Amino acid sequence: MNRDALIWCLVASTAIAVAAVVVLFVRSRALGVKKRQSEAALTQQIYTTEGQLAVSRAELRKHKDEYDSTIREAEQAAEESTKAVLKGAARFLQSLAAEQTTLLDDIQRTYGGHPVLADLLDVNHANAQMARKAQGIAVMCGAPLGRRNKPASVYDVVRSAQGQIRNFHRVEIMQQGGLALKASAVAPVALAVAELLDNAASFSQHDAPIEVTFQRVQSNLCIVIDDAGVSMSDEDRQRATALLSGDITPQLSQLGNQPKFGFPVVGLIARQYGFKVDVTGVSRYGGVRAVVLLPEELWTMEETPPPAEEAPVSSIRRVEGRPQNGTRTMHGLPKRGARQSPIASVPDAEAPAPRPTSRLPEGGRASGRSLGAFQRGTLSGRNLDISSLEGSEDA
Amino acid sequence: MRDEHEPDHELELTSPLVPLFVITNGHALPPEHEYGHTTLVTAQEGASAAARTLSPEAREVMDLVADGFLSVAEVAGHTHLPLGIVRILLAQMEASGLIIVRKPVPRAERADRELLSAVLDGLKTRFGA
Repeated sequence: MNRDALIWCLVASTAIAVAAVVVLFVRSRALGVKKRQSEAALTQQIYTTEGQLAVSRAELRKHKDEYDSTIREAEQAAEESTKAVLKGAARFLQSLAAEQTTLLDDIQRTYGGHPVLADLLDVNHANAQMARKAQGIAVMCGAPLGRRNKPASVYDVVRSAQGQIRNFHRVEIMQQGGLALKASAVAPVALAVAELLDNAASFSQHDAPIEVTFQRVQSNLCIVIDDAGVSMSDEDRQRATALLSGDITPQLSQLGNQPKFGFPVVGLIARQYGFKVDVTGVSRYGGVRAVVLLPEELWTMEETPPPAEEAPVSSIRRVEGRPQNGTRTMHGLPKRGARQSPIASVPDAEAPAPRPTSRLPEGGRASGRSLGAFQRGTLSGRNLDISSLEGSEDA
Repeated sequence: MRDEHEPDHELELTSPLVPLFVITNGHALPPEHEYGHTTLVTAQEGASAAARTLSPEAREVMDLVADGFLSVAEVAGHTHLPLGIVRILLAQMEASGLIIVRKPVPRAERADRELLSAVLDGLKTRFGA
């Protein structure tokens, strides 16, 4: 009896256990299916969202690009219009400065004998510096440079540049004959050298010399500018090289409150007129060595013809019968003997200038001619000096 | 003459390339009584060698005065430089011993009439003329 009951109990519990296992199994399968379903749904949702995100991103990028290009266009337009305005103003200043230079030169010649000349020279110096600035701004704005229509010796071109900087007396130029720049190169090279000289003067002691020498390297002519200032850092040097090659043209708006036109201007005109400028060298004073390298198209070996109005000096001084340093007094002064021929005479045929030549009759005798020549010389000298304050010494 | 709306034509620069203040290298004018029109200048003996380092304008002056005396006015006339510029150049050249300068004989100064009459008055009162 007991044994039967026990068996039944066992059977019942087994049955219950089996049932429980079956139930649990079914339930877990159902849960698994549900989980897979929800995972699939979630994954789907993620895909959709990712797609939306990509679309939004693309749209954002598009908007950003549009915005950037609009900004760029606006900046470009602002730059262009600023340049146009500044170009007009700079051209006006440029022509005014050129006109004033011509005027001042005339005035200097008119009042050549008057003490006011000293002040006129100072005014002309200030004007030359202003003219350089105006030229620089005009070039930055894309306006053409002033032009000269006569070739000039490279020495005179550098002297012209020298006059365009403040402390011009610090510049020492090596004498150089026989090398001339073609007319088209005179103005641009003068401006480039002026900017380099200004740079050399600004970055060195206020009394240190600036040396300009000339070298011929193969078919190129080099103008070498040595200063005794501080040398440049590698970073500065790289930036200067980029600016001077004309590869980078900084926008006007990037030049800052105290704009540095120098190197950008030099780079622009160097590229425009086909010469090269390098400032990476070290000068013999430890400062910067700037080299302007002019290809053979820009210069010639020919001597520049002297300006037409100049009196031919050689024919003035080769006069026969003059005492040649031989007869001197005990104090070293040459003795003036009885003169047979004029001390100096302006040849009437070729010399186009002095007005008195036509007024004076040609004397027949030798003494008359020499007197006439002397008078002509004195008169031509006196003609330049209209505002003589001194008494007339010929009275 | 100038028009702000003119087309992009190149500006022509007609002024002399080398300004006068560069020719004088910024030196001041000599005192007014020095290097007058009739002052005579000539080259110092053996100065032509040193002249090679001079500016072309100063060298031209040296060439002119190399063989004898020439007046300052004549030098200015031949070089076509303003008189003041020539005077500055000559002052520099004299300072560096390149030229000899002979000043014109100064005009005899007129005696001061008032002073003379005052002296005369004094003498008269002293000796009773």
